[in-house]
Amino acid sequence: MYSSPVLYDQSETIKEKLAFNDKRKKHLIIYDQKAVSDVKQVLAKDTQEELEYEHFEIGDSIDLQALRTLLYSQKMGTHLYIASDWDHAAAVFAEAIEAGFTEDEIQTIIYGPKRRYIYCMKCYQKSEINYDDEVQCTHCNAYMEVGPFFSKVRKGYIGYPFIPN
Amino acid sequence: MFKSTNLDMFTFPFTNYKNKTYRYSNDLVALGEDKVNFMKITPEYQAQIKRKRELLEEQPEVRYQSFPHTMEMQWEFVELIIDLAVDKYPEHFSIEKNGDQWTFSNHILGEKETFIFGDESSISLEPYDMIGRHFHHDYMLMVNRDDNFYLEVAQESFAALFSPHWNLGMSFNEIHGPVPFVSRDGVELTDRIRKFLLTIEPGAPRTRVNWNLMADRWDVNYETMDIWGPEREKVTAENAGELVHLRVEEQWFVRMPRSNAILFVLDTQFLPLEDLVLRPEWLEITYFNLADIPDYMAEYKGMAPFLPQSVEYLKNLIDSLKVK
Repeated sequence: MYSSPVLYDQSETIKEKLAFNDKRKKHLIIYDQKAVSDVKQVLAKDTQEELEYEHFEIGDSIDLQALRTLLYSQKMGTHLYIASDWDHAAAVFAEAIEAGFTEDEIQTIIYGPKRRYIYCMKCYQKSEINYDDEVQCTHCNAYMEVGPFFSKVRKGYIGYPFIPN
Repeated sequence: MFKSTNLDMFTFPFTNYKNKTYRYSNDLVALGEDKVNFMKITPEYQAQIKRKRELLEEQPEVRYQSFPHTMEMQWEFVELIIDLAVDKYPEHFSIEKNGDQWTFSNHILGEKETFIFGDESSISLEPYDMIGRHFHHDYMLMVNRDDNFYLEVAQESFAALFSPHWNLGMSFNEIHGPVPFVSRDGVELTDRIRKFLLTIEPGAPRTRVNWNLMADRWDVNYETMDIWGPEREKVTAENAGELVHLRVEEQWFVRMPRSNAILFVLDTQFLPLEDLVLRPEWLEITYFNLADIPDYMAEYKGMAPFLPQSVEYLKNLIDSLKVK
């Protein structure tokens, strides 16, 4: 669905560190090798007997078949935690939305840099950007001011074209 | 660039002139029976249609956007537009129906559109795009979901900081978030309007008049900001009469009975400041209103770089008329 949430650098699901939502019955934790030691530490310390925990470890690459089976088999009341680098998180996030999770039910903890994209209003192409206010389109070289608005359909921030002095 | 030549058909925006002041408001009002039908054929009709079609041909990605799942709504739009046109201007438009085989005639342009109603394969354009090319308005179809409105089809040729391509799929609040050159003052107003839109019922559209000043351009979209942004600086008190236009956007919000979507219709009209002398009372009211615009609003509306020059031009014009 075009209005489905996507993971972007200002997603409300992104949190600084893993913290279990104690209003949920079950916690599903999906993590990669960058997050493995943190996750194991939290699990060893913060788990409560009456709650259910399940985890899924991402190795070198994501086993999509297994991930989908896991996500689709969840019942109401499951809270999803994604602890990984950006690319793994974006992939898991998209699969989770597809499987019916809402943003309220997802917590994302990113290891390493977050990716940002700008959508060029001159050539309608997406370029990866850092946190500069002004950038150049990697496709048509137009100069753009990075706008504050993000499009879920175009999957980037708006790039307002300008001609440099 | 066209301008309104029949001033009786021009929607003069400053109706609160007694106070000689202008502020934003969400003045969405109910319509008198004569205004429920938004069709309006002005002397500029042919020039506007020609330009609209050129833009759609040259920049289809910029000017028209839709989601594939909107076809049923698009046909509802076709029927609505034809009904309104034929009802108001039977001398200009007619429709012949043989079951699902329809022929729409535009007698002004001497054109016919023949199609099978409900069958996209019977026409080369999408239905909404096809019928929209016969009328000068911009048309935005917003689907009502989760107490908000999402843009799912748009055909546009007179954008003011709007882009069908960029805004596709956005909610009403996302589209009306602060635009460039602005503060965040517009946000609360946007949410009030959104709540008001939820109350609109089929058969009882609402209207609102918005206005702005444009510097030598009718089309100020995101795609061409690099061009019109700097052009605003070239206005002086001497050339403002010719370059600066009072841009009036008469808006209609129409609830579609079958899809429950809101059709947002824009009738954009332009009057160069120099033509205000044709209606001396308008000239004076416009001068008082523009002279009173607070800085934050001039910034929000994007007119800050040329507002002082425009006010000075109007003042000089009024003074020169008094001397005579």
